[in-house]
Amino acid sequence: MTGTGPGDIIVATPGILPLVLLILAMAGALLVVGRRRAAAKRSGHSPEQNWSVPVVDGASQGQSLFHRWDARFKLVSLLGLAFFIVATRSLTAGLLALGLAAAALAAARIPWRRALRRLLAMTGFLAMFVVILPLTAVVQPGDTLLVFPEIARLPFNLRGLELALSICARALAVALLMEPLLATAPLSTTLEGLTRLGVPAKVGQMILLAHRYIFVFLEETRRMSTGMNVRGFRKRTHLETLRVMGNFLGMLFIRSLERTHRVFDAMQARGYEGEFPGHGQFQAAPADWLKGLFFIALGIALLVLDRLWLP
Amino acid sequence: MHISDGVLPVGAALASGAASLAIAAWSARRIQGEELPKVAVVTASFFVASLLHVPLGPTSVHLLIPGLVGVLLGRAAFLAIALGLVLQSLLFQFGGLTALGANALMMGIPALICGWLFQTFKGQARKRQVLVGGLAGGLGTVFSGLILALLLATGGEDFFGVARLALLAHVPVVAIEALVSAFTVSFLLKVKPELLQARDALHRES
Amino acid sequence: MHQTHRLPPMPLSGDTLFDIRELNFRYPNGRQALQDISLCIRPGDRIALVGQNGSGKSTLVRHLNGLLGVQRGRLSYKGLPLRDQHLRRARLEIGLLFQDPDDQLFCHSLYEDVAFGPLNQGVPTEQVAPLVREALGQVGLAQLLYKSSHHLSYGQKKRAALATLLAMNPEVLILDEPTANLDSAQENILIDLLRDYSGTLICITHDLLFAYELCRRAVVLDRGRIHHDFSMRELVSHRPSLREHGLDFSFRLHAPLATAATLPAAPGAAEIPAPPAPQPPPATALDSPALVELRDYHFAYPDGTRALNGINFRLKAGESVAVVGENGAGKTTLLSCLMGIRQGRGRHLFGGRALDRKRRRELWRRVGMVFQDPADQLFCASCADEVAFGPRQMGLDQNEVARRVTAALRRVRLDGYEERVPLHLSGGERKRLAIATVLSMEPEILILDEPTAGLDPQGEELLVEILRELPQTRILVTHDPYLVGQLTQRTLVMHQGRILQDYATAEFLADQNHKSLNALALTYKAACSREIRELQHQHEHSHPHRHLHEHPHRHGDLVHSHPHEHEHEHAHGYTHVHQAHSEEHCHPPQPRYHDHAHQDHEQEPHEHEHGEDTPPRTQVQ
Repeated sequence: MTGTGPGDIIVATPGILPLVLLILAMAGALLVVGRRRAAAKRSGHSPEQNWSVPVVDGASQGQSLFHRWDARFKLVSLLGLAFFIVATRSLTAGLLALGLAAAALAAARIPWRRALRRLLAMTGFLAMFVVILPLTAVVQPGDTLLVFPEIARLPFNLRGLELALSICARALAVALLMEPLLATAPLSTTLEGLTRLGVPAKVGQMILLAHRYIFVFLEETRRMSTGMNVRGFRKRTHLETLRVMGNFLGMLFIRSLERTHRVFDAMQARGYEGEFPGHGQFQAAPADWLKGLFFIALGIALLVLDRLWLP
Repeated sequence: MHISDGVLPVGAALASGAASLAIAAWSARRIQGEELPKVAVVTASFFVASLLHVPLGPTSVHLLIPGLVGVLLGRAAFLAIALGLVLQSLLFQFGGLTALGANALMMGIPALICGWLFQTFKGQARKRQVLVGGLAGGLGTVFSGLILALLLATGGEDFFGVARLALLAHVPVVAIEALVSAFTVSFLLKVKPELLQARDALHRES
Repeated sequence: MHQTHRLPPMPLSGDTLFDIRELNFRYPNGRQALQDISLCIRPGDRIALVGQNGSGKSTLVRHLNGLLGVQRGRLSYKGLPLRDQHLRRARLEIGLLFQDPDDQLFCHSLYEDVAFGPLNQGVPTEQVAPLVREALGQVGLAQLLYKSSHHLSYGQKKRAALATLLAMNPEVLILDEPTANLDSAQENILIDLLRDYSGTLICITHDLLFAYELCRRAVVLDRGRIHHDFSMRELVSHRPSLREHGLDFSFRLHAPLATAATLPAAPGAAEIPAPPAPQPPPATALDSPALVELRDYHFAYPDGTRALNGINFRLKAGESVAVVGENGAGKTTLLSCLMGIRQGRGRHLFGGRALDRKRRRELWRRVGMVFQDPADQLFCASCADEVAFGPRQMGLDQNEVARRVTAALRRVRLDGYEERVPLHLSGGERKRLAIATVLSMEPEILILDEPTAGLDPQGEELLVEILRELPQTRILVTHDPYLVGQLTQRTLVMHQGRILQDYATAEFLADQNHKSLNALALTYKAACSREIRELQHQHEHSHPHRHLHEHPHRHGDLVHSHPHEHEHEHAHGYTHVHQAHSEEHCHPPQPRYHDHAHQDHEQEPHEHEHGEDTPPRTQVQ
């Protein structure tokens, strides 16, 4: 390779492209294997599909500035910060945000494993950008292009790569912020905070109810799927598999609708009339305000930096 | 496929969020206030259904089932889908928090259209209902692919390539979704046809 | 009780809590679920609501707190129909325990679940916390206050669901099958709690032993009508009417133990002598190789719960093995490990070779498993498809599949059900269908997980009959010593993930009478069944005679109640006095329903059995 100035067209040595592709493929394979392993570990070495669902508020028992933070302030300031982060454009700002989010995660003393799981879930979608954007981004004057002789018609646009990487940085940053936001208090407390902020109480209740029954239906689904497997069923790419899946979905819906009616009955039987009783008491201390202002200020600073000084 | 944070321009994210809120409110209006818990519980089952793997050659795909949700829930489908997406985002990071509105539009609008299509064209004959159900299931995926592409394209010219590819990625899934939906509708017709007759299944048959 | 400021109970005028007159209910699908129900429930009544599956019990109790509206007839609670404001108030004092605790635990943590009712009752927030603690303490779950219900075991969930009601201090407690799937220890906790409960108790149950312990009045429903309104003692002691309503559970009390002689001859079982004396199991089939074997097997769930610890288990062809133990002892985990559904640490041999991915499919062909809940196994649109599913997956040809479907359906007495929809069948039929789906694969080993859960006694009797005919090697997981005795020759007792005992079933049954296995806590049931047996055999002789009596009864479609005279078979009630081991006892006639003398009846020969304390004699002159 020669020359690195902006606006250059760099012609790569033949043979680099296959090498790059090979490395990418290997990285991809490693990632897939890692995910499978992690999944197998979670499901207790079961050879079945992994039905485990992480617990949202799994780290809610800890002690940190996030755990001690009033849920209302936490929601407003961290959500605000998230929107400031996604409003930035440059890669530098994205990386700064990523660092910030990682620091917040460390401050909340949340196991990295939990956060990592969130990041893994996005890899497929983000990989699409990293691979496609450099190849398809419209060539503008001043773009640095990398041309592989094997596919000369598809120049690799470094601006596109930068764009893709900045997207990744922002996405990862917000994803990491989710952990201090959600995992540091019981979900019901977080959602009650949402209600106190003026969001209709029904929204929080519906999220809680759906969350509760996901676990019930997952368990039912797991048992049904085991029931099919021990009768010799194996998913394959053919019509019969799809027919069985259709039956399976139908059965799942019927069972869940029946359950839906029973749950509603049970709620009514204990005096439900459209309102869930509230529990928590929220009292704002100066520290809550301070933390809130701090994170919002960080967000604004990041955005200002991005728009005024960074390319 | 769900849109993560930081992909859409912040304006598009906010605008689709506002649009989703408005549609969700409209979708909730048909439901009596105290019956909202039912939507929540049913949503849990769609959530679980969307975790099912369907094998496709050497790999496997997740079901999207926007069409099927529309067929079963009618107008309440949008609300259910929005709720399901919130949970997917909270639990798995499938779809970013700031992109919730966009994701809800992408899955919810096809559900509304397909629900309407199914109720309008299903007719009486069993075969026809299965066929229309399958079409609704397939179209649901086509529409979400289109909306996804549109949303990505709001990022500007640079994103047109990604948008085209995302749409393309939906093609093989269309057939699977159509077939699975048709089989599900056929199963329900035999076992519990009232679920497909009612305008929405949340009203108890009594 | 803490002094709490909830709404005071509504005043009661008169002595009738629920007054039901000619209540009718028809489901939208046209099924008439209740017909002309007239029932009067007084405060403090303890009622067992019994009847076959589908007789309308659940439909009736759903009327009692307004979950179903009155279609025709009248229903009033404390003098007013259940509507509007009165219904709202009434729901706060009527507690209903659902069959499936997952329906009732809909909040994020136990605390919120239990607090839900009291908060709706208007208890101020600061007073709720002690109430919640107290209610959860009563059911022994105080330490799980902030747990989410999906982390609990089934028994814990059931108790938590009861706590959500107890915290409301209900005037009326309605229980729908409270003991289904509970082990005896959990059942005892439930009984202790309910015995102390002072309000009105209405309990739907198939478990008459349980009902006998708690209830004084028995209302029998039959196809949507009230068939009899008995005292509990009368019901259990009157065998003909039990049988008429499919409630006769006495087969459980009188049945002999399964020995090799009473079980159908199975390959490999033939050489077992038929001894009343227990045989050590290893001696039974030394030469036949183990079909499945676990050696030093361990399993822990992802959350770290150690479910199996050092299991050593050999299953030989022709054996029938029961696996018993308390809820959470690891029974179901053991089954899933045996099936290869879960993989733990240790050796798992199938046909003498280690189990791998390929051999697991082979295992699933040769070992059939029937799940606890048939809903987990049935997902086709017709019974024929359902039964054909396994054979089709095995790649058999059309004719063979058809042959197997017919044979399997006949085996479980479901001939002619080919085109029926599995979802529309009754609980008992669904259970049998689930067994057929497995039988059609012609497995060598049959694994049954709580096969009789939720069945009425008649369904249970039929199922036991069917299972006894099957030639397969069997593993049976159950809480029910009766089934163990009927269907197995060898018993594994599990406790906390270990096999505590592995011996002949006869030994196990003798063992539990000696209370050596307090983990199982079966003693109360044994006591109950002895008591009932003594009540019951005394009444088993009858003769036709005329007399006047009054009770609601049915002639075709007409139900009425008036004193009338007619001739029929009627059992005689005697107050029995048996001195243990004494030859002397007397049977003074009890005049209930009778205004006529029984000439020489005392001298007639009649059969009855005596309690275990007395030497058996069959003829009393």
